[in-house]
Amino acid sequence: MAATRSRKVVELFYDVISPYSWVAFEVLCRYQMRWNIDLQLRPFFIGGVFKETGNKPPGLVAAKYAYVQHDLKRLADFYKIPVKMPPMERLMKRENVNSNRLLTAVNLDCPEHLENLSRELWMRVMSRDQDISQPASLETAATAAGIPSDTTPQLLSRINDDDVKAALKATTNQALSYGAFGAPTILAHVTETPVMLWGSDRFPLLAHILGEQWEGPLTEMAKY
Amino acid sequence: MAAPTRKSVEFFYDVLSPYTWLAFEVMCRYQQKWNIDLKLRPFFLSGIMQGADNRPPGMVPAKATYMGKDLRRLTDMYKVPFKMPSNPAEVMFIKGSINAGRFLTAVDMNCDQYLEELTRQLFLRIYYRDEDITEPASLMSAAAKAGIPEDLAKQLLSTIKDQAVKDRLRQTTQTALDHGAFGSPTIVAHIDGKPQMFFGSDRLELMAHMLGEKWHGPLTELAKAKM
Repeated sequence: MAATRSRKVVELFYDVISPYSWVAFEVLCRYQMRWNIDLQLRPFFIGGVFKETGNKPPGLVAAKYAYVQHDLKRLADFYKIPVKMPPMERLMKRENVNSNRLLTAVNLDCPEHLENLSRELWMRVMSRDQDISQPASLETAATAAGIPSDTTPQLLSRINDDDVKAALKATTNQALSYGAFGAPTILAHVTETPVMLWGSDRFPLLAHILGEQWEGPLTEMAKY
Repeated sequence: MAAPTRKSVEFFYDVLSPYTWLAFEVMCRYQQKWNIDLKLRPFFLSGIMQGADNRPPGMVPAKATYMGKDLRRLTDMYKVPFKMPSNPAEVMFIKGSINAGRFLTAVDMNCDQYLEELTRQLFLRIYYRDEDITEPASLMSAAAKAGIPEDLAKQLLSTIKDQAVKDRLRQTTQTALDHGAFGSPTIVAHIDGKPQMFFGSDRLELMAHMLGEKWHGPLTELAKAKM
């Protein structure tokens, strides 16, 4: 009897305000069914990462913003993900900290809902150009994610709790300690020193590092 | 029986950009596999950064650290003999690429059959052997390795300050800016009469999809840049 190959841990640090994080999220959610990996979703706060590293969002350069909009449209089609960059002025005003805290609370209290809730929040902010900050918005996303309605008020109240705030900060700091400067940040634990990868465009390299096969977008596994 | 029309793919580049070398080698491999007409378009990266009001990614220290590792991993996977120069800031921000850009432009205008190999030799100088690309002797040496006869190389080198050469480099840079460029490489694939602009060395699989071609990964068996 052969022992099962031990699963390699892959951590995905993400913020729902980052459209490329959504791309990476969906691709890794598909590949966790193909590759021998243990995918760990780690919601963090991109604002904290930018502040610490002196990095800036790519959209601040006008030509880059125009390109990103176009790039995401093509990637959405290629990967079958309904990502659509909202207009710059609205995106810059979107508050994401409550979403990050809610995701952190879900990760602490009921991680089985984390994947779906992340997806619903992205659907709101990066597909339908909707708010992700007000309690009513978060409640709608939670319901759509299949979180039982009797637990939602309790979860929502958790976003002001110190342990949730501390956990979000700790996750952000952990990503920074691995050299993160943007989102998504992917950590592949293959040897003792984890390999940090940035962005949604290093999957062939990630596969190579993991000793797995990159098979492209796997659109037949799309959740949309 | 008519062959399907070859799609034109323009590759706008500056040899100062390491990720550009990666994309250049991969595109040179795929031009043998895909039904494309690859046009190498040397441009001037400084002009792009100024025109688009962008700044080099390496200015953020955490990003610079990451890029060094990322380039090592990618070039290893793609079999491109990349080595970071000992003083990248000097190479990129002090020495620059204006003479190299003009020399490549002169070659493009007069004898473009040497353009691919000269480009490769310039990349090998900066990003493999940590050598200069600004002095006339450096450009002559790269030209010799690229197979350009010495007389021709000398003659081409004497034209790099000619208005026609400067204008052409400026025009190419402007054309890239008009396509929305903000860095190097900028790849423009002409698909169904519409230019599709891609930035960087990590959209080639997507470009294959849009060209209706197959992506086979790094194709290391077709590697040309030798150590």
